[in-house]
Amino acid sequence: MPDFDKLRALAKETISRDDIKYLIGWRQGTYGYRTSPHFVRIPEDADQLIFSPLCSSNLATYLALAEKRPVPRGSQPDTRKVAILVKGCDSRAVVQQLVEQGIKREAVYVIGCPCEGVVDLRKLEEKYPHTLDRVGARWENGNVSLDLPSGNAVFPREEIVAGKCLTCRYPNPVIADVTLGENVEVSGSTAFEDINRFEVKSAQERWTFWRDKFNSCIRCYACRNVCPMCYCAECILDKQNPAWIQRSVNISENTAFQLARAFHLAGRCIECGECERVCPVEIPLSYLNRKLVKEVTEQFAFTPGVDPEAKPLLVGYRPNDKGDFIL
Amino acid sequence: MSENFEPNVVAFLCNWCSYAGADLAGTSRIEYPSNLNVIRVMCSGRVNPMFVVNALQQGADGVLVSGCHPGDCHYMEGNFLARRRVALMRELLNFVGVDERRFNMSWVSASEGAKWRDVVKGVVDNLHEVGAFTEFPRKKIDW
Repeated sequence: MPDFDKLRALAKETISRDDIKYLIGWRQGTYGYRTSPHFVRIPEDADQLIFSPLCSSNLATYLALAEKRPVPRGSQPDTRKVAILVKGCDSRAVVQQLVEQGIKREAVYVIGCPCEGVVDLRKLEEKYPHTLDRVGARWENGNVSLDLPSGNAVFPREEIVAGKCLTCRYPNPVIADVTLGENVEVSGSTAFEDINRFEVKSAQERWTFWRDKFNSCIRCYACRNVCPMCYCAECILDKQNPAWIQRSVNISENTAFQLARAFHLAGRCIECGECERVCPVEIPLSYLNRKLVKEVTEQFAFTPGVDPEAKPLLVGYRPNDKGDFIL
Repeated sequence: MSENFEPNVVAFLCNWCSYAGADLAGTSRIEYPSNLNVIRVMCSGRVNPMFVVNALQQGADGVLVSGCHPGDCHYMEGNFLARRRVALMRELLNFVGVDERRFNMSWVSASEGAKWRDVVKGVVDNLHEVGAFTEFPRKKIDW
């Protein structure tokens, strides 16, 4: 198993502070390659923390979704901070939530973990299906090393990390109170080659592609639930009056749902790829998101989740915004 | 496409400019296609892009959002905000394979009755070319 002493020592030190409520990190999951979110409330719990290429989940989701219980009469509200371990992409989610005032800066303590890319479990599952024994993993000189039951295996990064990591432009946390380890080299680019390749297809081809994908959607809303940006107390997907999206599972409602979900992330999506990871029917949701990221970058030269002082994209405007489509 | 297909267009007109412009076209006896179903909104910034998706679901073949010229908005910046949203929603619809000519936006002021006619003609002519919306209309259940 890789060495997590530094991480655990830092976590222990953090959770022992008086102004920290709890710490959110990762721990080894129940079986196989799985990792679970881990909520550390007492220093002893910090012994289970890990940070490895298998820690793909974005913990920023838990910041804004934390239950806000009413404060009992006569007692003071708990103003202690929540400490959170973030990878580069997760840190952008934290920043975007700060921009949108979903959370307050003084309410979070960000521990940055520079990340060389997380493993795509689907790729791993293909190579080693049905692995039940717990598997550890670590980064080694640009490769990913896995401690499988059959012995150690080393894969080149390109072969095994998630697609979002291959184009990642922010592997290092953009916001951090304390950083764990050294910053890693940035290799991603802003080229949207996959999107451009898809765009040149005919409208008919594009619709056929998406119709098949949307048809398979079972409307479990896992993509919304896992998304760190989807934290509205009232969501149009849940509203019955007006019912913008009806509950029936058919191509019309599925498409409306997918368009609504994608559009609500316009200028907000920080490309953590969680929606795609959790989708049980493997809809390429990051394609839709990346299309909007591309438009936002090219039309408005805007990158969400980088500057905590920025204004959200759609609440502002420039008089010279592109308007060549206007009749 | 059948010969006598007539597109069904939902038009969201802002109260202060475009609605008055369309009204002027009417009082000036300017003839324009009658395919529009006009919905008056207080500002083009009121138009949620979900309105557009919903209109398409409910049987519209095209949507037109029309507001005041930049700088003329009654609420100072509503049409600028609408422009960003419409730009992104158009791109998204186009990306999933819905012809972008189905979703139009225009600036028409209260004195532009003639421009209103040209805009509507252009939209309807385009939609004659594009044809009926078949991608994801809501199926009516015939009990």
